Amino acid sequence: MQDFFELAVGAAASGCVYGLIGLAYLLVLRPTGIINFAVGEWAMLGAFGGFVLLTQYEWPYALGMLVALAVMFVIGWASERLVVRPLVEKGAPLLAPILALLGMVVVYREIISTIFPPDPMPVPYALGMGRLELGPVGGSYQSFFTIGVTLAVFIATWLFFERTVAGKAFEAVALHRRAAALMGINLSRVMALSFGAGAVVAGLGGLLVAPNTSAYYLMGVPLAIQGFTALVIGGVGRVAGPLLGGLLLALAEQLTVRYAPIPSGYAQGVPLVLLMLFLLFRPTGLLRARA
Amino acid sequence: MKTEMSGALRASPLIRGAIAFLVLAGAAFFMGEYHNDVYRKLLLWITLALGYNFLFGICGQVAFSHFAFYGMGAYSIVIFLFQLHFPFPVAVLCGIALCVLFALAVAIPSTRLEGFYLALATLALGQLFIVVLNEGGSVTGGTGGIASYRLPEIFGYRLRGPWYTAVIALLVVATYAVLVRLDRSWFGRACRAVRDNPEAAAAMGVNVARTKVIAFTLTSALAGVAGMVYAFVDNTVNPPIFGIDNAFLLLFMVIVGGAGRHAGAVIGATLLFLLPFWLSPLVGHHQALVFGVLVVLAILLQPAGLVGIYDRLADRLKGLSAR
Repeated sequence: MQDFFELAVGAAASGCVYGLIGLAYLLVLRPTGIINFAVGEWAMLGAFGGFVLLTQYEWPYALGMLVALAVMFVIGWASERLVVRPLVEKGAPLLAPILALLGMVVVYREIISTIFPPDPMPVPYALGMGRLELGPVGGSYQSFFTIGVTLAVFIATWLFFERTVAGKAFEAVALHRRAAALMGINLSRVMALSFGAGAVVAGLGGLLVAPNTSAYYLMGVPLAIQGFTALVIGGVGRVAGPLLGGLLLALAEQLTVRYAPIPSGYAQGVPLVLLMLFLLFRPTGLLRARA
Repeated sequence: MKTEMSGALRASPLIRGAIAFLVLAGAAFFMGEYHNDVYRKLLLWITLALGYNFLFGICGQVAFSHFAFYGMGAYSIVIFLFQLHFPFPVAVLCGIALCVLFALAVAIPSTRLEGFYLALATLALGQLFIVVLNEGGSVTGGTGGIASYRLPEIFGYRLRGPWYTAVIALLVVATYAVLVRLDRSWFGRACRAVRDNPEAAAAMGVNVARTKVIAFTLTSALAGVAGMVYAFVDNTVNPPIFGIDNAFLLLFMVIVGGAGRHAGAVIGATLLFLLPFWLSPLVGHHQALVFGVLVVLAILLQPAGLVGIYDRLADRLKGLSAR
C-alpha cells in the first residue's frame, strides 16, 4: 500500500506537468482553433530558463521563476506576432499557421542546441531535496510543489474564464469569431494574449519537470505528445479537461512500468496508444463541454 | 520536322519515362562511390516526397506515418529474407502486404479524424513504431537494428554500385509515372475535391472516406516499397533512421517545394536534402537552424512554394514575349 501511495504521488506530479502542457494547447486552441505543436518546445525553453537563472546565476527560486515566466510570455506573444498573425491577416487556411508553428519547433530547438552544449543541464528543486510525509502519503518536496502550483494555475484559469469579463471575451471568440469582433472584442489582442499565456503555462510545466529530467534540448517532442494526449483524454470542452487527462495518463504510465509484465521500454508507448484510442473512439474526451 | 518530334514526345509517356530513367541511371556511372551514395539517398527522398505530396498536397491529409511505412518496408524485407528465410519475391510481396494491411488498419478508423487530429494520431503511430523497433529484441535487433546482410543474388547476379543506383532510378521514374497518371485520372480529381471541400465533393458523388483510405493506403504502400529498396543502400536498418525528425523533414520538403505539385516535391526534396551539404561548410552546426528559419519563411512568404515563384517568373516571361 505504501508502495502504491508513493507511486500515486509521483504519478500525480507528472500528471500535473502533462496537464499544464495540455492547458497550454487549450489556451491557444480555444480562441484560435490552432493546434500549436510548439508547446513542447516552450516547455523546453522554460526548463532552460530555469537552468540559466537558477543554476548559472543562482537567483532565488521565486525571482528566477517569475523572470523565466515573464520571458516565456514575451516569447509566446512574439511567436504570435511574427509567425501566426501575418498568415491570419492574409486569410490563409488554418493549416498554414499550424505548419508554421511546426517549423518553429525546429527553430526553437536549434536555437537552444546552438547556445548550449548538447548535454542534459541541471535545474534546482524549488524547495530543495527532501521528503514530506502526510500520514501514509509520502513524496518529494518537488512533487508536492508541482501539484500545488498546478492546482493554483488551473483554479486561476477557471476563475479567469468563469468570473472575469476578459475571460468571457476569450470564450466569445472561441464560440464565434465574427460575432465576437462585431461586439467590440479586440480579436488580435485576444490571440496575442492566448499565445502569451500558453507559453507561460507550458514554460511553467517545463520548469517544474526539469529538476527530475534535466533541461535537455530534445525534451520538447515527448512532452508535446504527452500534453496533447492529456488534452485529448480530458477533452477540450472544459478547463479541467487537461488536468484530469494528465493525471489519468501519468497513472496509466506508472502502473504499466511497475506492474505490467512487459519490458519497461514499452511504457513509452502508453501515451501513444492512449492517444490513438481516444482520438479514434472518443474524440470529445471524457469531460463534455457545458451547453 | 520539329513539330513532329515534339508531337511524338508528347504522345508517348513511355518513351519519356525511358529517357528519364536512362538519364537518371546513366548519371550514376559517372560518379564515384561517395557521390553514388549521396545520389541514391537523394533519389529515395524524391520518391518519398512524391508519394507524400500525393497524400498531403493533393489529397490534403497531414499524416506523419509516411516515414514509419518507409521503415516498415525496410525492416519487413530484411526480417522476411534473413530471419524467416523467405524466397526474394515472396518476401517482397509479404512486405507490401504488411504495409497495405497496416495502412488500412490506420486509414479506415482515421477517416473520422479531421485536419490536424489525423496528424497527431499518425504522429503517435510513428513514435509507437520506433518504440516497437527499440524493444523488438532479436526480431528487430533492438536499438542497434539489423546489419551485415547483403542483397541476395537474383538469377545469379548481385546488383551493386551504380547498377543498384539504376534500380533506385527505376523506382523514382515508376513512382512518378504512377502518381502523375493517378493525379490526372478521376481519382486524382476526387482527391483534390476532397482536399478543397469535402462537403461539396460528397455532394458531387465522391465517396470521401473511400477516397481518403485509398490515397493513404496507396501512398503508404509506395513508401514501403521505397523502404525495401533503401534496406540495401546502407545494408543496415536501425530505429533512428526512421525517427520523427525525418517525418517532419518530408513534410517541410513538400511545403518548401510547393504542395500539390509533383515538380514541387522534386524541387523541395532536392533542395532540402542537399542544403546541409552546402550549408555545413559555411555555418557549421548552425545549418539546422538556418533550415528551420527557411521553412518558416517559406510558409509565411511563399505559400505556393518554390514552384509558385517559378510559375510567376514564367508568367512574366510569357507576358513579355506576347508584348
